Parts: sequence; C-alpha cells; structure tokens
Amino acid sequence: MARWHHDRGLQWRMGVTLILLMFVYLVFITVLAYIGVETLFLLAIVAVMLFFQYYFSDRMVLWSMGARVVTEEEEPRLYQVITRLCAVAGMTRPRIAIVNTTVPNAFATGRNPRNAVVAVTTGLVNRLEPEELEAVIAHELSHVKNRDVMVITLASFLSTAAFFIFRNWFFFGASPRSDRNSYLWWILPLVALAVWITSYLLIQALSRYREFSADRGSAVITGHPSHLASALMKISGQMERLPTEDLRKVEGMNAFFIIPAVSGSTIFHLFATHPPVEQRIAALEQIEREMGG
Amino acid sequence: MGLKDALNALFGRTTLPRADLDSLFAVSTAAVTMQTSLGLKPSGRAGICFKPIESSRHDAAVSEIEDLLGFASAETGSEYRIETDEYGFIWVVLEDPDFDDLITGVHLVAQTLIEHAFGTYLLCAVYRFENSKPVYWIYSFKAGRYYPFVPEGQMKRDNGYEFRLRSLLERELPLEKDVEKWYPLWGLPL
Repeated sequence: MARWHHDRGLQWRMGVTLILLMFVYLVFITVLAYIGVETLFLLAIVAVMLFFQYYFSDRMVLWSMGARVVTEEEEPRLYQVITRLCAVAGMTRPRIAIVNTTVPNAFATGRNPRNAVVAVTTGLVNRLEPEELEAVIAHELSHVKNRDVMVITLASFLSTAAFFIFRNWFFFGASPRSDRNSYLWWILPLVALAVWITSYLLIQALSRYREFSADRGSAVITGHPSHLASALMKISGQMERLPTEDLRKVEGMNAFFIIPAVSGSTIFHLFATHPPVEQRIAALEQIEREMGG
Repeated sequence: MGLKDALNALFGRTTLPRADLDSLFAVSTAAVTMQTSLGLKPSGRAGICFKPIESSRHDAAVSEIEDLLGFASAETGSEYRIETDEYGFIWVVLEDPDFDDLITGVHLVAQTLIEHAFGTYLLCAVYRFENSKPVYWIYSFKAGRYYPFVPEGQMKRDNGYEFRLRSLLERELPLEKDVEKWYPLWGLPL
C-alpha cells in the first residue's frame, strides 16, 4: 500500500475523538445508574429508534431529497463510471439516484455497501467535467466503503439517549424511583444536556474527520486528488452564485435533520456540512505532494 | 467483514485490493473447450485496462510498458496499441494470432504495473472471442476471477449466452460466482 494512502495524524485525531466520546458515555451511564433511572428501558427505546433509523434511513433520505433511483439503461454513463471505480476499489456497486435540482451536490446513504445508494444532483452532473464527477462519486463510494452511516449511528447512540432524556424529562420526572435520590433526580436533565452537547461536538468533529477521510479515499480510488479539488472549487463557487430560491431549497433540506442523531448519521453531504472547502482543498493538495514524493 | 476491514472502516481508511494474477492463465485451456463445444474462436485480441494516476512514476511505468511491448512484439510478432477511453482509463490492446502469446503479453503488462506499485490500479483484462458475434471474457484483477460479457447492440447483453458459457466453463475457469458482479464494459476498444 502506497504511503500517501493513509494519514496517520487524521487517524489519531479520529481515535482520540472516539475515546473521548466513549468516556463521556461511560460517565453518563454511571450517572444514570447512580440516580436509578431505568437504564435498560431507556436504552431499549433508543435502540428501537436507532434500529428504525438504521434500516429505513436510506429510503427516508432518498424520499425527502426527492431522489429517484435510476437504472443502468437510463444512466449508462454514470453507471460505467461507478462500475469502474468499484472495480478499482474492489467493492459491490451501489445503485445510483438522481435528484432533479440545479444545486450541485451529492450524497451517499444506506446501511451497508449492498444497500447503498449514491445520489447526485442534475446540477452536479451538468456542471462538472467527467473526471471531476468521477472524483465526487469516488468520495461518496469512500463513505460507503468506510461504513460511515453505521459508524456515526453507533457513535450517536447515547447522544440520542441524552437528548431523549433532556426532552422528555417531565415524563421521567413524574416517577422518581426512591426518596433517597430525589434531589439527584433534578440534576438529570442538566447531566443529559451536558452529555448531549459534548457528544454532539465530538460527533461533529468525527464526521468532519470522516469527510477528510472520504476525500483521501477519493484520491486513493481515482489516483487524482486534483480532480476532487477542482470539483470542490467549482461547486463552492457555483453555490454562491445560485439564485436564492435554490439556496432556500437547500436550507429546507438541511432543516429536515434537526436532531443530531439524524443529522450526522443518515447522510453525508459532499458540501453541506463542515469542514470548510479551503481546508479540504489544502488537504488534497498535500496528498498530491505526497504522491510525487 | 473481518477485523481488518472493521478497523479500516472505523478509522476511515480506504484500501484498494491488490491485483491477483494467479488465475490469469486459466483462460488458455478454456479457449480450447470453447472452440470445440461452441465453435468460439479467440479473435487474437486482448486488452488490459488500468487507471492512470497523478504521478510522474506512473508515466515512467507506461513508457516502460511501451519499451517492453516493443521488444516483445519484435520477438513474437504481436502488435499493440495504447488508447485512452472515454472514461479516462488506459487500455493496452494487444494483437497476436497465437493465443498463448497473447496471454503472456497481458501478463507482462500487468506484471510491469505491479512492479511499479500500480497493481492496485489494474482494472481488468479482456479477451475477445467470436463466432457470429463478439464474446468477451473479462478477468477482474481484484477478484482474480473471470466472467463473460456478450454485448448485443446498444446497452443490451445476451444473458442466455453468458449463462451458457458459465455452465460450460464452470469446471476449468475460476468464475466470478456473484452474478451481480458481472459488470459490463460498454464500448470496448477491442
């Protein structure tokens, strides 16, 4: 494996983030157990929520974005591009969906490579050169290959639980288990809020790192970091010049994912979330230098 | 999904499988079977498809392939050309009436790319056979397996014939078992 295929620094940061997240969750569970919340019952509720999200998120996301899964006959070129990239990456080919909007964007969804769908907007297809489009698709394939939906779903499991407690505190508040801990009972929403905020920030960081990873993955699969860099430049430039109508439409799409568990786990935008494009382009240029050396 | 894959996924490491040349030569005996059972003859043409990458060492590898093929063709009388297709992939198309020389040529090109550490960018090798229509055998370097591809006009393939080929050659050719991975390659340059 070529040296430029990996970024040890990035993997360290990701590891540290995961450890911190586990630590926050451990503290949270300890507090819950000490206060005497029916932890198992709570976790069961969250597990069921996440199970549905995990299994139905792909269809939900595609539906909410107005994405239509297309066949190979309808989009032979796109399928040829994705077929070849998958052959290089040694992975099962996901299906392709098209979103009919001028906003250039792409996303990947699906709980595993077999169920994955890579969606591109017509704006993206029309505006990018073939090799730039290929790089964007490779970025999405990396998300699929790295199982980002699963990783973030698991990472946000207790974060969702904390949010759930905070929001439904009155429901829990109505039935404190024992008098001994009744004063602790009132601390519960504060703890839940603190856990939710810290884990939210950590999950945000994690998903940014995974964006960088997918950018590198695109460079690894296509062998051309510069193609993704120019695609990102083009998309970000186009974004600013678009009519407000379309921007509002984009905003509307983002508004759908308000609670953190959904915002992070079900969807990986090429563009809509952090990190800033300049940083991503700088990272890609760095990969290009590593390749030469 | 093994532990290594799980760790790669957890840390977001994209890895590419290496090229597997072990079963490449198996098509040699399969060609005899196809000729006797179906009257399918090797057309004397084959292609190796790989993805060009952004590196000066890549250009060095391609020029070495050209040198090697130059030598080889002087010896065996085979011909070659290098093409870039509409998806930006490079094809080395070899022509030689002797089928075994053709396979050796394909092996030579693949080996050269692997020696230059571009083995992970090898996509496939394609052998063309024909009777009334072209029949292709595609060797996936990543899977180390073959699968048939019989195009029939625009964006259509003769699945019936492909399955027939599968049942005929199941024993002697390492075949891609997952039919979902029999990905077509439209507009082949050979």
